[in-house]
Amino acid sequence: MSDTTPTLLSVEDVYAGYDGSDVLHGVSLDVHAGEFVCVIGANTAGKSTLLRTISRLVPKSRGRITFDGTDLMSLKAHEIPKLGIAHVPEGRHVFPDMTVEENLLLGAYTLRQDPVYKERLEKAFTLFPRLKERRRQWAGTLSGGEQQMVVLGRAMMLNLRLLILDEPSHGLAPIVVDEVHDALVKIHEAGTSILLVEQNTSLALSVASRGYVLESGEIVLAESAKALHDDPKVREAYLGL
Amino acid sequence: MKWWITGAVVLVAAAIVPTFLDPTGYAIRVLTLALLFAALGQAWNIVGGLANQISLGHAAFFGLGAYTSTILLINFGLSPWIGMLAGAAIAAVAAYLLSFPTMKLRGHYFALATLAFSEVLRVIAGSWTSVTGGPVGLSVPFSPDSFWLLQFKSTMPYYYIMLGALVVISGVFVWIRHSSLGYRLRALKENPEAAEVVGVNTTQVKISAAVISAALTATLGTLYAQFTYFFDPEAVFGIIPISVRAAIIAILGGAGTVVGPIIGAFLIVPMEEMANVLLSSRGAGLSQLAFGVMLIAIILIEPRGILALITNGVSRLRRRKSS
Repeated sequence: MSDTTPTLLSVEDVYAGYDGSDVLHGVSLDVHAGEFVCVIGANTAGKSTLLRTISRLVPKSRGRITFDGTDLMSLKAHEIPKLGIAHVPEGRHVFPDMTVEENLLLGAYTLRQDPVYKERLEKAFTLFPRLKERRRQWAGTLSGGEQQMVVLGRAMMLNLRLLILDEPSHGLAPIVVDEVHDALVKIHEAGTSILLVEQNTSLALSVASRGYVLESGEIVLAESAKALHDDPKVREAYLGL
Repeated sequence: MKWWITGAVVLVAAAIVPTFLDPTGYAIRVLTLALLFAALGQAWNIVGGLANQISLGHAAFFGLGAYTSTILLINFGLSPWIGMLAGAAIAAVAAYLLSFPTMKLRGHYFALATLAFSEVLRVIAGSWTSVTGGPVGLSVPFSPDSFWLLQFKSTMPYYYIMLGALVVISGVFVWIRHSSLGYRLRALKENPEAAEVVGVNTTQVKISAAVISAALTATLGTLYAQFTYFFDPEAVFGIIPISVRAAIIAILGGAGTVVGPIIGAFLIVPMEEMANVLLSSRGAGLSQLAFGVMLIAIILIEPRGILALITNGVSRLRRRKSS
């Protein structure tokens, strides 16, 4: 599959870090159009740094990152969403003193007068009916799962082509994790490519079709999700089986 | 009551009050100063309240406004109304330039950098004697009554001018708050990184807010100069009389809200005056001490300001009634 569809995101030999010491040591990976790819690894492997480097939040980085032919390394963080890349950072980060709808609006404030805005809002509300019920409520008063939906809904307000997710299940109750799981599957089925970073390895491997294992800033394994799931090392180190 | 009815009632009351007061008396002077400082707190609120960038250097822009219009008036007989625009333009440029070195600074570091900037201007104003009059300061040439030269013998016209300034600046604040710039500022305030990844150009947003706030602050500097007829570097570039006062008025009342600075100013300015009258004869510094204690007490009780204190109290009463 991955050989027949064009490459959407390509990361080549990327080094990145903070204050002089690199966290990533020559990472390469790619996401093809329509693919759902996950990166698994331990807590300090550099998973978040990898995602933050792609969305240009790590100033000290080098290597090549392209998205559909556009060089991302020459762009600033706030220019990345215009390409249709939405980064949902770890910890959800809704804007608590804004209503649900204002949070969504912020994902597309340049489009406020555009009919597209209403269309996308409806699409987000169709996927997350609970957000529609709570559209006038302060985002800070929502439950963790609902906040996660706000953040996903906000990402959908862009002309979304690639969704980059950092630990969406972190700190959520198991039943809510299932909801998030379903939401990701739906977003993916609607045609969005997804790059997911998760500590919850079994969740990641159950939704993604392909995965990478990141260890101490280097990719040590790249396989289909099924192959990773059956890999004895992955089973022992990350699935606890 | 709808918010705009409340606003209209307060505005009408504010317009009627001076007719009951001695037009050259002490009370109207205190109220006029309170209006001026409410407007200053409101201008500060655009940066400090909406973006949570705590500036302790707003005296820089206030002083630029006061000096620009007064120097133009003294040397070229230019109307302060025009000098006000010139001062606003200079302050806007200054804020734009200042935003580059302070861009990456947050919290205390931002506060200290802005404070240092205003101190540099204070020192320049104190030493560039040929233009600024040096440490002695500048006197506005007295030629009342003239609207064009913004000079009046009575305090009453100043009262209405300051009221007008407060209404205009509060209007700008409300407009920004509900514009897309306001949303982006609030996003920046709550989480700069999350704002960037949803496409907010945080750099541009910070600069826009700083420039608007600085220009408005400068116009108040001009009004202050015309009201007091005399000022020295400390009076307009001073940390305590202007910068800290602007911040405290907004924070004490409730930063980020439109009524916050108004509540803050009408509490602080009369309180300061009262402390001066009652305590200054009993020992130097006693009034400042009393004032400081009051500030600390309020901040300890409710760090989000008096407005939060009031709204919390009201909602608690309502809950008690309904239960």
